[in-house]
Amino acid sequence: METLISLTGKDYVLTASDMTAARSILVFKVNEDKTRDLSPHITMAFCGESGDTVQFAEFIQKNIRLYAIRNNFELSPKAAANYVRTQLAESLRSRSPYAVNVLIAGFDEHEGPELYWLDYLGTLCKIPFGAHGFASNFVLSTLDNAYLPDMDLEQGIALLKSAIKVVQQRMLISQPNFQIKLVNKDGVSVIDI
Amino acid sequence: MSIMSYNGSAMLAMVGRDCVAIASDTQLSANGQMISTDFQRVHMVNNNVMIGMSGLATDVQTLWADFRARTKMYKLREERDISPRAFAHMVSSALYQRRFGPYFIEPVIAGIDPDTKKPYVCSTDIIGCIEKSPNFVVAGTCTENLYGMCETLFRPDMDADDLFETVAQALVNAFDRDAYSGQGAIVHILTPTELITRTIKTRTD
Amino acid sequence: MSNANNTPLPAPASYGGFTFENTHRNALLTRMGYDAPNATKTGTTIAGIVFKGGVMLGADTRSTSGSIVADKNCEKIHRISSNIFCCGAGTAADTENVTGMVEAKLRLHELKTGRKARVVNALTLLKQHLFRYQGHVSAALVLGGVDHTGPRLHTVAPHGSTDTLPYVTMGSGSLAAMSIFESRWKPDMSFDEAAQLVGDSIRAGIFHDLGSGSNVDLTAIYLQEDGTVAVKIMRNIDCPNPKPAPVLNYKYPTGTTAVLTKEVKPFSQLAEVTAISRTIFENNEDDDAAPPAASAPVPMDIN
Repeated sequence: METLISLTGKDYVLTASDMTAARSILVFKVNEDKTRDLSPHITMAFCGESGDTVQFAEFIQKNIRLYAIRNNFELSPKAAANYVRTQLAESLRSRSPYAVNVLIAGFDEHEGPELYWLDYLGTLCKIPFGAHGFASNFVLSTLDNAYLPDMDLEQGIALLKSAIKVVQQRMLISQPNFQIKLVNKDGVSVIDI
Repeated sequence: MSIMSYNGSAMLAMVGRDCVAIASDTQLSANGQMISTDFQRVHMVNNNVMIGMSGLATDVQTLWADFRARTKMYKLREERDISPRAFAHMVSSALYQRRFGPYFIEPVIAGIDPDTKKPYVCSTDIIGCIEKSPNFVVAGTCTENLYGMCETLFRPDMDADDLFETVAQALVNAFDRDAYSGQGAIVHILTPTELITRTIKTRTD
Repeated sequence: MSNANNTPLPAPASYGGFTFENTHRNALLTRMGYDAPNATKTGTTIAGIVFKGGVMLGADTRSTSGSIVADKNCEKIHRISSNIFCCGAGTAADTENVTGMVEAKLRLHELKTGRKARVVNALTLLKQHLFRYQGHVSAALVLGGVDHTGPRLHTVAPHGSTDTLPYVTMGSGSLAAMSIFESRWKPDMSFDEAAQLVGDSIRAGIFHDLGSGSNVDLTAIYLQEDGTVAVKIMRNIDCPNPKPAPVLNYKYPTGTTAVLTKEVKPFSQLAEVTAISRTIFENNEDDDAAPPAASAPVPMDIN
């Protein structure tokens, strides 16, 4: 019932996560933050089993922060994604696995913008654009159709807008608010579109 | 649906004259939805051995991390690269150890024996039963199709270029009739002196 | 609740025995409706008889995965020791590993005691292992050999029960093979008679049981005139099902496949560096030697 959309552009990554917290037929709130920043240049958007999601995301966030403090060195987006993957894969083998799907958006000074797709099974894949949730059925075709690898920020935002518009127009479930995060060389920031 | 078709894959390995090939599709799907067209299932173990893993993608990644660590430890201890045969037995024991809670992968292994320079190709089932083949092995969601293609196209003693065409056409025409695999393919040809990697054009549905 | 303090994923491999780290997850996936896949089986014909002074074991060479022939020429007669061999039917990985394990254990036992292992020794190890796993290690075996008590022939069922008989068959083709034995077996047959009879029983399986196929493998363990034990491995003694050679072939000419990218990674660099460093090392011990030639990488054969 939740939606995460993300795409990489020329020198940035954009993520959009819906802000609806709902259960069954009831909407609790429409300003829920479904992202956590893992480092100055990495953010993680998550969805899945409510309860698991925030618990898992903050656990990851704090461990990656701990690593940075201990080693005086920030994990690269790739390293962070692989850490999250290992945690999900281990959790999956426990008695109460986390049912969490995530998108990890990061900017690496050597590699440039990076986006990683991860599901609750621990499948990790580096992708140019992607989505989680029901809405991926609509959104992926929109993105596939119009995506260009070297889009500037303006084009990227326009594409993300059109993807969100498809979700809001065509999907049965109401998702009025989306939080947009921009990751580039200057770090992670929330932007209005 | 079988868990083996959750992510979808098709791959084969084939023997040529002084060369071996592994071909694999490059798509990653989850439950019938396309996630990526650039997913890596084939890995170089060293200059003598390649492994391709079909099946559940998360297990491919977990096991590759394990195999990579083990072969690096092997090299540090033995001061030589692991041979294809020894590597196949390492994979086999790792899988049979999980006899009653298996990883959902079927590996294919291809290599050139560092001592004899003879090509080596084998595959195992999900619990590590090695099937060594004098010609070809297949794995993935369209093994029936792949067996059919390979049985007709395989000829003994193909050179590296012939082997590429044969392997590529066998794979492409096999996954043409498989809904769960396809979307691009990669072919690795390994000879005693070089590795030739080609990506090939396929249909994208 | 799982967290980062769990043990690292790859479980230590050195302890032996089975690992159950994936069982929870696999049960979860099964509950979600994803079926676990099948392992390779050997829908098999295996057989063995006692003849004058020895035992003759036989097997077909087909292994199957569902209805697909996974291997057209696999080996189902496994070596346990120099005088004991074992045919395996059932889940291929189980027969392979259970016989391998007993082979290792018996060898250690032989080294410890300084004596040749007996066939009953192998039989006990096999039945104890199989009984412990209550049939989940699904191996049906025909065990034969010659020790100082003479020729011995046994069967082991997957649950660990055993039989001792003069002629036995196992696997999906066991009925076809047994019909040959029942009509033609007699005591004290010669080597050639035994090879013919076991060969015929395996062929009965190959041609009448769909789970069995391809070629005939025979292994004889027998006492020679001088009292020593000899083994004759007759791999693919009969190949009644050759693939007909194609009159024409389908050859795709070079250039058929549309190549998007091509990358060639030569390995020669590595050999060159290793060769030079070796030469320098050797020369350090001999001051008079000529300086190492910098050119012409030597083909490496360090073993």
